[in-house]
Amino acid sequence: MKKNKNIVKTEKSAWLFMLPAAIIYLSVIVIPVFYSLYISLFKWNGIGEMTFVGLDNYLNLFSGDATFRTAIINNLIWIVLTIVVTMTVSLGFAVILNKQFRGRTFFRGFFYFPCVIAPIAVAIIWRWIYNPNMGFINQFFEAIGIDFSQQWISNPDTSLYAVFIAALWQAIGQPMILFLAGLQAISPDVLEAATIDGASGVKRFFYITIPLLKDTFVIVIATLITAALKVYDVVQGLTGGGPNDATQMLSTYMYSQVFQYNNVGYGTAVACIMVIMMMVVIVPYVSFTAKED
Amino acid sequence: MKAKKITALALASLMAASTVLAGCGGSGGGSGSGGSGSGATEVTFWTLNTRQEAVDPIVEEFNSQNEDIQVTVSYYDTDGIKDACKVAASSDTLPNMWFNWGGSLGSFYVDNGLTYDLTSYAEENNWSEKFNSNALDLCTFDEKVSGYPTSYNILGIYYRKDIFEQYGLEVPTTFEEFEQVCATLKENGITPISTAGLNGWHVMRFLELLIEYYAGAEQHDAMNTFDESWDNDAVAQAFEKYKEFVDKGYFPEGFLTQDPNDTLIAVANGDCAMDVQGQWYDGNIIQNEQDINNYGVFAFPSGGSNRMSSFAEMTQFNANNTEEELDACVAFMDFYYSQENADQYSEYYNLPLPTADPEMPEDQPNVPIMLEMGETNGTFTITDQALPTEVADVLFNCQDAVANGQMDPADAGADIQAAIESYNANNG
Repeated sequence: MKKNKNIVKTEKSAWLFMLPAAIIYLSVIVIPVFYSLYISLFKWNGIGEMTFVGLDNYLNLFSGDATFRTAIINNLIWIVLTIVVTMTVSLGFAVILNKQFRGRTFFRGFFYFPCVIAPIAVAIIWRWIYNPNMGFINQFFEAIGIDFSQQWISNPDTSLYAVFIAALWQAIGQPMILFLAGLQAISPDVLEAATIDGASGVKRFFYITIPLLKDTFVIVIATLITAALKVYDVVQGLTGGGPNDATQMLSTYMYSQVFQYNNVGYGTAVACIMVIMMMVVIVPYVSFTAKED
Repeated sequence: MKAKKITALALASLMAASTVLAGCGGSGGGSGSGGSGSGATEVTFWTLNTRQEAVDPIVEEFNSQNEDIQVTVSYYDTDGIKDACKVAASSDTLPNMWFNWGGSLGSFYVDNGLTYDLTSYAEENNWSEKFNSNALDLCTFDEKVSGYPTSYNILGIYYRKDIFEQYGLEVPTTFEEFEQVCATLKENGITPISTAGLNGWHVMRFLELLIEYYAGAEQHDAMNTFDESWDNDAVAQAFEKYKEFVDKGYFPEGFLTQDPNDTLIAVANGDCAMDVQGQWYDGNIIQNEQDINNYGVFAFPSGGSNRMSSFAEMTQFNANNTEEELDACVAFMDFYYSQENADQYSEYYNLPLPTADPEMPEDQPNVPIMLEMGETNGTFTITDQALPTEVADVLFNCQDAVANGQMDPADAGADIQAAIESYNANNG
C-alpha cells in the first residue's frame, strides 16, 4: 500500500514538472498548428476581416494554380533526389570516414563543416560559384580548355538541379554524422565473424552493415523527407523560386502568398498540403518500420 | 506498448506539422513600442542595411543628445525589409517607425490602418512648406499624409563616359541611336546594359522604359492605374524588343538570377557600360571608391518628353504610437534628415533631401542633372510601386519566361492582365 501511494505522489509531481513545458508546447506548437488549419478555410489578408470560404482555397490550388502544380512537382523531384543522392553520398562518406586512416578526424570535420553554415550564406557562395562570367565552374572548364560555359541557375532546364547540388553540399553533414554513429554502434565481432565465414567486403556491407543500420535509416529518411518538403532558404537565396517558377517550391510559394501577397488563407492552405504530404509519406513509413521491430 | 506506439506516432505527426504550420498561425503581440524603466521614450526603427554606416553613428549621437528619447534600430536588405514589415504587420509587431517606399508598397499599411495619420500633424508643422511637394504627394494616400518623406528618386541611364569616349559614342537622343550604341558596344566586347533578375525589379527598370517607348505616356499611365488592359500591342512590342536585346547579348550572361545589388561590379570593371539607376547611384559609386567623373547620366529616349521613372521613400509611423512616441519619432527623423547629417554621410543618403529648397550634394555631380531632367521631362511611377506585388511578380515571371524562350513575347501582356483581373477579383 505504501508503495502505491508513492507512485501516485510521483505521478502528480511529474505532471506539475511537465506543466511549464506543456504550456509552452501548447502555445507555440499545438495551438498555432490547429489555428493554421482554421485560417486555411478563410480568405484573409492577415489584418482585416476574415471571410469564410470553406475549402475554396484548396479547390483553387488544385483546379487552376499552375505555380502550385510546378511547386508540387519540384518538391517531389527534390524528395527523390534527396533520398537517392543525399542519402547515398552521406552514407558513402560515413563508411569511408569510419575506417582507420591518418587525418580521419580532420576529414570528419571537413565534410561536416558546410552543415554549420547558414543556408542563406550557402546560397550566396553558390551564386558566385555558378556565376556564368566569373564563377568557379565556368572558369574551371575554361581553364582546362573545355567549352562548356553554362547559365547554371538561370537556365530553367538546369536550375533546379543546380540549386539541389548547392543544397547537397550543405545537407550531407547531418545524415553523415547519423550514419557514422550507427556504424560505430555495429559490433566489430559481427563483422569479424562474417569475414571468418568468408563474406567479401561488399557482402558484409549489404548483408551485415545495411541491415544493422535500419534504425539509423528510419531517422535519416524521415528527417530528409521532412527537410526536402520544407526546403526554403537555399532556393530563396539562389533563385527566389525563379527563373519563371523553375525552382518554385511549396515553401517559397507559401511564403510569397502569405507574406508578400497577403493571401494568408490561401498560403496557409499550401502549408496544410505540405503537412498532409509529409504525413502521407512519413507516418506509414515510421509505422511500417516500427511494426517490423 | 500499443498506446506508447500510437503516442509516439501522434507526436511525430505533430512535430512534422509544426515544422510547417507553426509559423503561419501565430497571432498578435504588442505594437512594438515600449516604455522605459528610466523614463525615456523608447522607439524602434527599421531601415535598410545599406545605410547602416551612417545610421549607427547618427542614432548614437541622437540618443546621447536626447536623454528623454532612446532610438533602437534594426537593419534589413532591400527585399528583407518588405517581408519583415509584412510579417510584423500581420502579427501586430510593427516597430514605431519603418523605412518604406511609396506606391503599392507603402499603401498596404495605410489601407489596413497600420500607419499614423499625419495629416493634422503635417498641417500644424507646415510640412507643405518644409517638403518638396512631389515627395509629399507620393507619401499621401487617400488625402491622408501617411509618411515622413525621406527621398524623391529619379531613374535614368548611368553610363561609363570613358567607355563611350573610347568607342566614339555620343549620348543617344533617339531609340534608334540607343540601339546603335548597344550594337557598337557589343561589337567591341562590352555588354551594353548591366542588369540582374533575382527578384525581378532591376530588369523591370529597363522593360518599363520599353513599355513607355511603345505605349506612350498616356497609355502607360492608364495601364498602371488599371484603366487600360496590359494585353495590348505596346506591351507585346516591348517584350519583343526585350527578347531581341536578350538574344543579342545586350545583358550579362545569366543575368536572370544575378543579384541586383551587384550590377555596379560589371560596370565598374568595364564589362558593361550602362545601368538603369537612380540618382542615389552617385553615392554607391563613391562608396565603392570608383571615380565618379567616369560616370554620366542620360534620360532613356522613350519618345515624347522622355519621361523617367520615379519613386518616393518615406518613414511610416505606427498607428499605435502615443503622442509622445510620435514626437520622438519625428524628432529623430528631423535629426537624421538634417542637412548637417546629410552632408556628413552624403553617400548613404538618396540626395538631395526631399525638402522644398534642397541643397545639392557637392561631390555627386549627377544628382542635380537627374533631378533637373526629372523636372523637365516629367516622370511616371516605377512599375513595382504602381502595381500590387502579386501582379508585379507575374510581370517578373514573364520577363524570365520571355528571356528563356518559354513564352512568346506576344503572350506576356495577357498573363499580366490575367493577374490584374485575379487581383481585382480578390480585392474588389
